[in-house]
Amino acid sequence: MRPQIYSEACLAVENHEQSPFKAIKIVECGEGISAAYGAKMLADLGAEVIKVEPPGGDLTRRRGPFPGHKPDPEKSGIFIYLNANKRGVVADLTKPEGRELLGKLLADADILIHNVAPRDRAAHGLDSAALCAAYPKLIVTAISIFGDTGPYADWRGYELTASNAGGWAFLSPGASPSPELPPLKCFGSQSDFQGGVHAAMLTLAAYLHRLKSGKGQAIDVSEQECVAAMLEMNFMHWTYAKRETSRLGTRLIGPWFIADCADGQIFVVTVEEHQWKALVDLMGNPEWAAEDLFKDRLLRGQNQDALKALMGEWFSTQKVQELYRNAQGRRIPMAPVNTMRDLYDSEHLAERQFFAALEQPGVGTLRLPGRPTQYGRTPWSLRRPAPRLGEHGAEVFCTELGVAPDRFNDLRKAGLA
Amino acid sequence: MADLPLAGIRVLDFTWAWAGPFCTMQLAHLGAEVIRVESAGRPCVTRAIPPFADDIAGPNRAGYFNQYNQGKKSIMLDLSKPEAIDIACQLVKHADVVVNNFAAGVMDKLGLGYNKLRGIKADIIMSEMSGYGQTGPFKAFVGYGPPASAAAGMFFGTGYRGGGAGEIGVSYPDPNAGIFGAFAIVAALTHRALTGEGQYIDQSQLETAVVLMPEGLLEYEMNQREPERNGNRDAVMAPHECYKAAGDDEKWVSIAVGSEAEWHALCQVLGQPALAGDPRFKTAALRKQNEDALDEIITAWTSTRDRWETTRALQAVGVAAFPAMSNRDLAEDAHLNERGYLVRLEHPEVGQRAHAGIPWKMSGTPCAVRSPAPLRGADTEEVLKKLLGITGDRVEQLRKTGVLA
Repeated sequence: MRPQIYSEACLAVENHEQSPFKAIKIVECGEGISAAYGAKMLADLGAEVIKVEPPGGDLTRRRGPFPGHKPDPEKSGIFIYLNANKRGVVADLTKPEGRELLGKLLADADILIHNVAPRDRAAHGLDSAALCAAYPKLIVTAISIFGDTGPYADWRGYELTASNAGGWAFLSPGASPSPELPPLKCFGSQSDFQGGVHAAMLTLAAYLHRLKSGKGQAIDVSEQECVAAMLEMNFMHWTYAKRETSRLGTRLIGPWFIADCADGQIFVVTVEEHQWKALVDLMGNPEWAAEDLFKDRLLRGQNQDALKALMGEWFSTQKVQELYRNAQGRRIPMAPVNTMRDLYDSEHLAERQFFAALEQPGVGTLRLPGRPTQYGRTPWSLRRPAPRLGEHGAEVFCTELGVAPDRFNDLRKAGLA
Repeated sequence: MADLPLAGIRVLDFTWAWAGPFCTMQLAHLGAEVIRVESAGRPCVTRAIPPFADDIAGPNRAGYFNQYNQGKKSIMLDLSKPEAIDIACQLVKHADVVVNNFAAGVMDKLGLGYNKLRGIKADIIMSEMSGYGQTGPFKAFVGYGPPASAAAGMFFGTGYRGGGAGEIGVSYPDPNAGIFGAFAIVAALTHRALTGEGQYIDQSQLETAVVLMPEGLLEYEMNQREPERNGNRDAVMAPHECYKAAGDDEKWVSIAVGSEAEWHALCQVLGQPALAGDPRFKTAALRKQNEDALDEIITAWTSTRDRWETTRALQAVGVAAFPAMSNRDLAEDAHLNERGYLVRLEHPEVGQRAHAGIPWKMSGTPCAVRSPAPLRGADTEEVLKKLLGITGDRVEQLRKTGVLA
């Protein structure tokens, strides 16, 4: 039984008013996932984020998924996920008038998070050194594919580039029997997300430093380097033992494969001997399991094809969720190859109140992936829908920052705000 | 060091395997003093599996451990002994943060649960990073990285076009839980700096992975459709693939085109400017429709050229191209070396070897890996002496009774 204090604290998450992060003001620029996710992590803890979009809108507005697969910049699922809890304004940072509006935002901000590429920064008024000089207390967090310095600093990149440049794609899917198939990118936008999570962590670390020193600073996050730090023991296979690892070859240990069940798939793996014995027992102690061919995890890895065929018969009779529970009940670390529906239907995630409902105007109620972490005291909240393009321009620039309404309307008509 | 963001913060680190140590390594990078608690009875798996330096096995020669424990201290405490728990509790008095990634409930059973720790130090920050979290019907389930990728939907979404669910190469949910864990601890430290309050953190590895699946989840939420497996292809951009380069089965080059300007530049470099006006490829939507034909044309060009030659030619005109990098490529990469990313500190047993370093730079608080991964138990005496004033005979006695083992 969990002590009362945990549940009281961890479940009291909706009260934004109590968040000590409420006073932190963040400006977010750039497009896509990395900067938006980094700012989202801080917005979800209560920080006030103003998202600055180019006049054509953030590129994620064009990427979907969309209801009914009909593109609509106000209905993009990924945009809504990344930008709920933020207010949105438009400013064309390629023009002096747009940069003037940015200046007003930054003069009033604690933090700037952006992912404008190093070679484009000066033209957008986002040169890190210049910003630090102009706003000594500002924390400037810049995310890029290759970082701000070095021979590739001016090179172009997207998610696919980062996952290849960081060495992840080269290893994926792993134990592939098909050399003609290329290195494989993981689903989604994982390198960009890593840029965002690192940026959020570093931004707060710099904020902690500013609380003591009063000083801002510039932060340079390289997605290539974030990915290259996550390669398990693969990097050291080279630097410790001069072995090049790859997506090809075989698994060192077994069983380690995706098995077909009666109603779906489950990932089978046993690492420790007691886990294997428990699995053999669960399978009803078939005679073949005692053969020398499968005596230890290394042999089971070498003879995985034979093992897979023999185990496959039994797995094909099993139902995934039932097998998952039975196996885990015996400390066998299996898990289903969950579909998106499986995740939404998960009783475990439901009991932990993981999915969070957002009422998005024009779209309806969406169940979004919710808090990644449960805090005892810091409130995590979903309190505001994602902004329509330019929704808060007048409120932010005129009401809060003193731009004359006439001037703002002129800029808006000219497509600059 | 005094100027680092987490200078003066002490972390008592009960983590093991990958996710937890990856978390506390970030805190060490940021300037915290991280004291890793190890024991001979439950040695960290990463000290026991290859690669070992020069293929000679030994707990201090394991690359896996030495990579993810850079900048930390190590002390030995056999937590199955009451006296060790007592020492751990005394250390908590001197700590700001306590972290573990045991299965749910283990710290409580050890006598190191949050209620106990907050009694010792009221503003302690305690982070528990388990596979499924501390509550819910699956809280006792075993969470390893590879099954966590399956559970989070990552296997289901990943895979070659027309093929089955794919694995993803590395146990990504482990370091991902680690980086989310480090964020949460820095957030809790910020909360403490603003309010004086410590707190308890319950983090589920599964949930930190599922929050990174919005493209798939929202397709289901909006359209009741599961995402399609599409290899390296993108929903909108084309071309967008890892193409065969000249050389063996391990030579590939990724190319992604996100704008008309980039598409035109690519056609120029391919030596086929007419392609830009080809009715099959005139717009992004058409390129997406005719992606098979497009990929064939590009492969015909890339497959006869060195991957770096292709990369340089395309990057010179602003097209995102880059080779699929191997471990060796990374270690030898001019860019990563020039940025100072690769760290080669002298380690007493393995000498100087390249490790992945710090993936960021901070202008006002320059972070650096301050020491290589610790030898097992290297700092036991120093920590006991400095923090608890335990010295001499008392240490000998604790050693003899196996408390410091």
